[in-house]
Amino acid sequence: MKLDTSGLQSFVPLSAPIDDLCPDLSAPPTFDLPRSADFDGFQKDAIQMVKPAKGTTTLAFIFKEGVIVAADSRASMGGYISSQTVKKIIEINPYMIGTMAGGAADCQFWHRNLGIKCRLHELANKRRISVAGASKLLANILYSYRGMGLSVGTMIAGWDETGAGLYYVDSEGGRLKGTRFSVGSGSPYAYGVLDNGYRYDMSIEEAAELARRAIYHATFRDAASGGVASVYYVGPSGWKKLSGDDVGELHFRYYPVAPNPTEQEMAEVSPA
Amino acid sequence: MSIFEYNGSALVAMVGKNCFAIASDRRLGVQLQTIATDFQRIFKIHDKLYIGLSGLATDVQTLYQRLAFRHKLYQLREERDMKPETFASLVSALLYEKRFGPYFCQPVIAGLGDDNVPFICTMDCLGAKELAKDFVVSGTASESLYGACESMYKPNMEPEELFETISQALLSSIDRDCLSGWGGHVFVVTPTEVQERTLKGRMD
Repeated sequence: MKLDTSGLQSFVPLSAPIDDLCPDLSAPPTFDLPRSADFDGFQKDAIQMVKPAKGTTTLAFIFKEGVIVAADSRASMGGYISSQTVKKIIEINPYMIGTMAGGAADCQFWHRNLGIKCRLHELANKRRISVAGASKLLANILYSYRGMGLSVGTMIAGWDETGAGLYYVDSEGGRLKGTRFSVGSGSPYAYGVLDNGYRYDMSIEEAAELARRAIYHATFRDAASGGVASVYYVGPSGWKKLSGDDVGELHFRYYPVAPNPTEQEMAEVSPA
Repeated sequence: MSIFEYNGSALVAMVGKNCFAIASDRRLGVQLQTIATDFQRIFKIHDKLYIGLSGLATDVQTLYQRLAFRHKLYQLREERDMKPETFASLVSALLYEKRFGPYFCQPVIAGLGDDNVPFICTMDCLGAKELAKDFVVSGTASESLYGACESMYKPNMEPEELFETISQALLSSIDRDCLSGWGGHVFVVTPTEVQERTLKGRMD
């Protein structure tokens, strides 16, 4: 039983494959479905395996100069920290980036797939795809897999002819256009700091510092977020990584430890 | 997440040369949210006996209050402090009394007995005692702690070296656990003095 993946159809038909070694790129990629007696139960188990994984903090906002995108770098499996150095900001192409929240494999695969689609669009139409178009492509793909256990909570941020673009796309099939988003278990804490400090006309440094601070506060309060706070900027000339600060060090930079005044000090007693 | 992982905790106790060290993390959380970063998990029973309690925070506090009460009664009746072995039996009995509705706590007991011989033991939530000669661990980070202690521990360490070892073991283990951390608290107890230190750790 093969899954219907006509939603994944490429735009440009290529010449027929020569042999088994080079796969037919124009045919939609197909996924084998498991042959188990209890298909729904298998689905449920698969979904439960990925479910706890939205432990993360990612945020993005549009301001006067472009888009700032920031994320932490912790991957947690239940209580165990499996990695503190996960790349959660995925570069789709030189002027568009996406954030990862949810299943790591799902996000990595579908972002790369989106990158392929965007490049094919460029080649077919001789112009870059808009952020709205790219996010719509991804949203439609995710919608066709709705209910199958994909876990993706991503923001697509980029720069196109209309200026800065920011869309939130998730595996339930939702797609929202907006100016400020935060996704993940640490998002309530990040929203608090972000909403408080946000102004449309900030400089790039101020905006980056706001994003860094918001991620730091989320990692402090949320157990499932931590590691390194990465900040990216997307402007007219594409994206640029601004900083990657270890959150453990950021804490002591923002709140330096004051030396405790000694209350009682033991002194050597001179032999009487 | 199980009830033992509701608040998050990490505890370790180690034996040195005529001394012991007991250390804990400082986080109090409600599942993933961190509420406090100065929660006390290690309590003094008397000058040479400390108990650390991991698990559900409300049971940690209640159990400590019950144990302090029982020890004070003992002091009034016997006019002396309890030996660590006796105290461990007391904790075990108190936990087993609640066999069918237990306290969700795993205690770590550390003390200096007669002739200042260090004593450590741990228990599960029903009171099964586990005596050890080297180190005992407890809490959500216990698996990481076992690994860290096993590799870093040496017998007969002096108090300074013991402090370094237990701190490194604690910090590296809680850095691999989402639910514990946000600093550390270490007590190093010798026959003549008690050193209490706060560790600077990752606050994420």
